[in-house]
Amino acid sequence: MPAPALAAAGGQAGGVTPGAGSDPSPPIDAASLARALEAVVGPRGVLRRRSELAVYTADGLPGYRKFPSLAVFPANRAQLIDVVLVLAEHGAPFVPRGAGTGLSGGALADDVVLVGLNRLHRVLSLDPENAVAVVEPGVVNAALTRAAAPFGLYYAPDPSSQAACTIGGNVAENAGGPHCLKYGVTLNHVLGVTAVLSDGEVVTLGPGASGAESAGYDLLGAFVGSEGCFGVALDVTVKLTRAPQAVRTLLADFMSMDDAARATSAIIACGILPAALEMMDGPTIRAVEASIYAAGYPADAEAVLLAEVDGLAAGLDTDAGTIARICTAHGARTVRIASDPADRARLWQGRKKAFGAMGRVSSHLVVQDAVIPRTQLPAVLARIRDIATRHRVTVCNVFHAGDGNLHPNIGYNAYDADESARVDLAMREIMRICVDAGGTITGEHGVGLDKIGYMELIFSPSSLAAQCRLREVFDPERRMNPGKVVPVHSCREWSRRPS
Amino acid sequence: MTAPSEAWAPQTAIGVQDAVREAIATRAAIRIAGGGSWLDAGRPVAPDARVLRLDTLRGITQYTPGDLTLTARAGTPLREIAEATAAEGQWLALDAFATSDDGGSIGATIATASAGPLAYALGLPRDIALGVEVVTGDGEIIRAGGRVVKNVAGYDLTRLMTGAWGTLGVITEVSVRLRARPEVDRTLALARAGPAESAADVAAGLRTAAMAPLAAELLNPALAARLGVTATGSPVLLLRLGGNAERVASEQMEAGKLGDGAVIDTDVWRALRQCERYSPGAVVVRWSQLPSLVANTWRHAVECCAGSPEALIHASLERGVVRAIIPAADTAALARVLHPEDRPSGGPVFVGRRIAERLPARLWSAEPAPGTTDRLARRVRMAFDPWHVLNPGILGEGARDAADRHGGSP
Repeated sequence: MPAPALAAAGGQAGGVTPGAGSDPSPPIDAASLARALEAVVGPRGVLRRRSELAVYTADGLPGYRKFPSLAVFPANRAQLIDVVLVLAEHGAPFVPRGAGTGLSGGALADDVVLVGLNRLHRVLSLDPENAVAVVEPGVVNAALTRAAAPFGLYYAPDPSSQAACTIGGNVAENAGGPHCLKYGVTLNHVLGVTAVLSDGEVVTLGPGASGAESAGYDLLGAFVGSEGCFGVALDVTVKLTRAPQAVRTLLADFMSMDDAARATSAIIACGILPAALEMMDGPTIRAVEASIYAAGYPADAEAVLLAEVDGLAAGLDTDAGTIARICTAHGARTVRIASDPADRARLWQGRKKAFGAMGRVSSHLVVQDAVIPRTQLPAVLARIRDIATRHRVTVCNVFHAGDGNLHPNIGYNAYDADESARVDLAMREIMRICVDAGGTITGEHGVGLDKIGYMELIFSPSSLAAQCRLREVFDPERRMNPGKVVPVHSCREWSRRPS
Repeated sequence: MTAPSEAWAPQTAIGVQDAVREAIATRAAIRIAGGGSWLDAGRPVAPDARVLRLDTLRGITQYTPGDLTLTARAGTPLREIAEATAAEGQWLALDAFATSDDGGSIGATIATASAGPLAYALGLPRDIALGVEVVTGDGEIIRAGGRVVKNVAGYDLTRLMTGAWGTLGVITEVSVRLRARPEVDRTLALARAGPAESAADVAAGLRTAAMAPLAAELLNPALAARLGVTATGSPVLLLRLGGNAERVASEQMEAGKLGDGAVIDTDVWRALRQCERYSPGAVVVRWSQLPSLVANTWRHAVECCAGSPEALIHASLERGVVRAIIPAADTAALARVLHPEDRPSGGPVFVGRRIAERLPARLWSAEPAPGTTDRLARRVRMAFDPWHVLNPGILGEGARDAADRHGGSP
């Protein structure tokens, strides 16, 4: 039986044999590469000194430090394409990077080239009538909402890092956020991407701003969440959302996590789809209240539930009242409904800055990101408590309760080897129970480097091999963001499979 | 046509895998058939293809109402899912147009990415599918995604399989997101006085109105009459409103600005989904461009169908999609639809995309096949169906691909 060769689909640049990613590549002439890149972006657009590169050795994930071989910062679309072409000519692996706020180590470049996209930060067009914008990848999430606000529009996905993170990074990670419960994640808001592939080819994915229906394979859907392994976005077409007529934010506090978890399930089941439904546990509440982000949460509570409903003004108070009644029926001590925008912002600040507030408590913080079926919340939270006790660590839970997306996080001192080891064990056990409960290993942070060891917990070898196959459609040489998402041996197995 | 006795009728994913492996070994082509309601629609598959039935692969395998997710085998009819979820006050918001009573199968709905009037408010199949189990064209059983509502683990093969028409893999199981049913689910039929051009006012009115309907579908007079919602000879706007009683009452007031309305039975949506039945053997096409241009799209459809009094036209206004069901005998209308450039009058230019859903076999060869010829699409196909055994021809891929299957190595 003849082996199917990807190359048959239409010649490859560089004469590389597709699928043969296990071959060692020839050494890259770093000096010649740097000169070629400087010719594209100018000498100031390339960083080579270790002291300059130190800024780019980490992202939002603690515990990893990787030096890129060099960093290059194209100033515009044409330069970005040329940079990718130069990298292709040199056979150089590279990592695209937005704001570096990711929490899975996805933007770390381990002795490979880092391509910084933050200079491509223009909103290219905004069509208020069709609620569509076209932006460069380095546009900051919150800046897009600011640009859309005069038209009564906003960009709905709202990761907690939205003040800094970029749309390009959001697309790479398929980023979520508290309001994704009602409005959906990045995937549901991206209408098109123009991307440059690792060989320099520019492709258009999805209908983009044409407004026409897509036809053919949903390669846009495949691209979103591909963690910088499929291509670099040159521009992204996003759907904007009409600002709601009215918003109500509720805060309910409970004396047990169980009660709050059961209230969450009851709210979801009652037919109201809240814009957001967030939970924080006692340790988180106390960390927030002790910090400059104090939001007025009752400091003795064991859980608070932050619920928001938005949309048409008519009937919204009824929905808010229904949620309040459900909370009370499930043991909430008090339910407060934020009366004005300032009060709402304050309630949200505690949630959005919760991770920052932990900084007061410990020098390092590891944030987990797992998703479980919503009905499993009480059981899994109880098991997380047991794990924490057993390993003598303090787990803080702050998470998107409405969609079962947990963020257990543990503050610790990374210089204490014993404590670090206990934290690591606890995190692994937490991940295992989430998977056993029917969940998944990441809801919005991505696999990156951090979760790659968990991929085989949830995917069979053939499923992982299929993912490799898809990756190689976009990047046959696997030069983009090497060593991320899918374990290399899963891909090797596919490459070697008998045909 | 393949004789029924030759069809594969697997009971499990492994049975599907056996069929695909047999097809690879014998260089046979497979025609995947869910409920069978799409078999006569779409592009013709290689004539020697052997049918792989999936109606034997059915049943809900997991449903925990509190999770608002459901997993079902590919051949499970949407009606079966609707009944199971309705008992819990929930629904699967997939309302693709289908001719069959059972709503079509979940597998076919995802494989064809078919959407209906609810799509604007509640999502397209790509927004609703959480995970799939698939037998790929090289005979591997794989799983993608999962059963939880948020999941970014690994590359997104679920999106890749959604809308791929079975050409990358045979979907054997699907997990989907459900929704709680709104407290009130009310449908209004608003008669639009005046000419068909009023689509522009309706669309503009909808954009500015203080309402967020679950569906807003404009019907031409012929379709409105067929559905029994009016006999006045004017277009009708069907509005589906959902939420608590107070909200729906307020939206209903607001809807009064768009036309004179009456509350009608929500069952009208089921009739609309099956409206192709009024015109057996008809040609079905749809057009789409920017939602702000939907009035132009509507006019284009109306003009194309001029002289075909039985042509049924409806539009999902907020998505900017217009769909027409044209009796096959109305050859003049058909010619205008397929060759608008030959149209004599100078109406608004339609610059969007026309997608054919159902055409006579002889016309398919002239239909453009967007998105199948570019380099990436061809490489995806090669990666997942290297021997072109799965539904060869259904995407309009050229003769070269069929030759690949028979001739061996490309």
